[in-house]
Amino acid sequence: MTDTAVGEQGRGFYRALVLRRQLILLGLALALALSVCVDLALGPARYSLGQVVEALLYPGSVDDQVRVIMWEIRMPVALMAVVVGASLSIAGAQMQTILNNPLASPFTLGISAGAGFGAALALAFGVALVPFSVEYIIPVNAFIMAMLTSLAIYGLSLRQGVGSETIVLLGIALVFIFNALMSLIQFFASQQAVAAVVFWTMGSLTKATWPKLWITLTLLAISAPLLARRGWQLTAMRLGDAKAESMGVRPRALRLEVLVIVSLLASISVSFVGTIGFIGLVGPHIARMLLGEDQRFLLPGAALSGALILSAGSILSKTIIPGTVIPIGIVTSLVGIPFFLYLILNRRAASW
Amino acid sequence: MFLRSVFVAGTMLGGLLNSAYAAPTTVTDVTGREVTVEVPAKRIILGEGRQIYLLGVLQREAPFANVVGWREDLSQADPDSYAAYAEKFPELKDLPTFGGFKDGTFDVEQAAALKPDLVLMNLESKAATEDAGYDDKLAQLGIPIVYVDFREDPMANSVKSMEIMGKLTGHEDRAKEYVEFVDQQMKRVTDVLAKAEFTRPKVFVDRAGGYTDDCCLTFGNGNFGEYVEIAGGQNIAKDIVPGTFGTLNPEQIIASNPDQVIVTGGNWEAYVLGGAWVGVGPGADMTAAHAKLKALSERTAMTGITAVKTGEIHAIWHQFYDNPYYFVAVQRLATWLQPQLFADLDPEATLKELHERFLPVSYRPGYWVSLND
Repeated sequence: MTDTAVGEQGRGFYRALVLRRQLILLGLALALALSVCVDLALGPARYSLGQVVEALLYPGSVDDQVRVIMWEIRMPVALMAVVVGASLSIAGAQMQTILNNPLASPFTLGISAGAGFGAALALAFGVALVPFSVEYIIPVNAFIMAMLTSLAIYGLSLRQGVGSETIVLLGIALVFIFNALMSLIQFFASQQAVAAVVFWTMGSLTKATWPKLWITLTLLAISAPLLARRGWQLTAMRLGDAKAESMGVRPRALRLEVLVIVSLLASISVSFVGTIGFIGLVGPHIARMLLGEDQRFLLPGAALSGALILSAGSILSKTIIPGTVIPIGIVTSLVGIPFFLYLILNRRAASW
Repeated sequence: MFLRSVFVAGTMLGGLLNSAYAAPTTVTDVTGREVTVEVPAKRIILGEGRQIYLLGVLQREAPFANVVGWREDLSQADPDSYAAYAEKFPELKDLPTFGGFKDGTFDVEQAAALKPDLVLMNLESKAATEDAGYDDKLAQLGIPIVYVDFREDPMANSVKSMEIMGKLTGHEDRAKEYVEFVDQQMKRVTDVLAKAEFTRPKVFVDRAGGYTDDCCLTFGNGNFGEYVEIAGGQNIAKDIVPGTFGTLNPEQIIASNPDQVIVTGGNWEAYVLGGAWVGVGPGADMTAAHAKLKALSERTAMTGITAVKTGEIHAIWHQFYDNPYYFVAVQRLATWLQPQLFADLDPEATLKELHERFLPVSYRPGYWVSLND
């Protein structure tokens, strides 16, 4: 066989691979679009498809109640599901990449637990970590604690001899600390407050409003390109620090940059919708199984699969018992985990 | 102060005289257990501070005279009542308190050291108490536990609990008088509705409205949900929320289009600083409460519903939900839901009478407000 033939063969293989991955991404995007449409069309107020479309296209011409239900109730929830799902999933994917550990996610690194602790402080005792933030006391508290957690992890990771495994262990230690503090709060809080804390930690999209959606979306729109710019370096990181360094990547600097970006992504999402632990772990794994390690596909793939899971969860959460909304964190875990188990038990090649 | 000391001394003396006749009596508590107690009990531990709601009726002049220890939950759960009691009976601040605020954190050793005749526990703490084996440990010390309840199922158990406590403290007449009062007040609602032909307005109960951003917490077929049905309304969440507590999809409220909205509220300044909750309760600032109720009526979930158009939006003290004075709430709901049938019913007068005839603390208005006020 000549060199050209090998080259031709390799090129053909590569083209087919890229095409296949592009098609998978397209499929995920179509599924997501469909899911969002269903999410918008379903609800206890049984509007016909025609009414729904009319309310979406000509909000001025429909009845006030229809307009409010579509634009103020269903739309923020449906879009928040997409944006938060994508943010958490990207955050999880990059944490797994930079720490080279399949267990890393906003949840296992203690960011969700930190946010939960901040929110519980506000819910149980009315403690505002930023004095002037009374109106947004719960998300602001949650955000501050989540960021402090990330900074603590980063600060500790700067110490000499701390590797990526140690960082994951640090995260798990933080999870335990925050869980204990949370229990302490619940022990001293009133029944009313305990109920509110428990509900918050289950995660809920009904808190979504347009301003919250815009903030989360803006952050996602800024951080996704920043991460995409580091795409090949992140892909190289998966070969191990030493090999990545030999290719001109500076692992420590890259790790810091990415950690800050994904902490922001996860913190904002969690502080607005509560703890949804599962997406950040499973979204990226699904994307990795479907698309492989190449960041050009992994990044959008993780975003799409995370958004799809949460969007489908949003539909289920309001249709299982019509009229009430089951907290989204419960639904995504119950529905997503069997799917996840199916994937890991049936995969052909191990990616870790 | 002097008079009160004399009175307390008098009660204690009376107690001493009584104790000469202390006899083992068997009572059946709300769980159906038969417990033998030396009555009248002179040294009582309150397994939950809010039991003072009942004890206050029985020993109006000195509700804490026979209390040797209590769980410190009243100050957290109902700060307004705590302040009112503390003002009149400053000695409550010196009472030994037990553990934290949760069920099952009762310290047996501390309890035994106080040598009580009786430990009164709430029904909801039964599982935790038995799980920890406290009942066996106390039984070995010869200290009986009696379960009462005015929170899990106030309608069924408040009256029963009052009778049990009357028996235990030797104030059966007083308990009977109170139970008759409650029955009579409930009949003023149920008798009228039993005879009348009426249509039930659709009601949305906004549980602790404004307490969290999430809309909307509500009651299913228990508690305030039950009160609404008894008072002649139709709770929109009855067939949606499976248990007593639940959350409605905000969209469901618009779809159900309720005729009236009942917001439960209370002074939650300690929890949600400057929150959107309606701070009704004894001695509430009604202007602020009205303004907050108005703000709640402008939420997304209330868009275009009948209740907003007619202004039939009301706030009522949240603590009626697990409180032996629930009948006042039922009366107030009845006058809101069926104004023609209950034109002559005055719930405020009932509440005043309750305070004047039975309670150790005096009445202060502020338990409810309506948007149309």
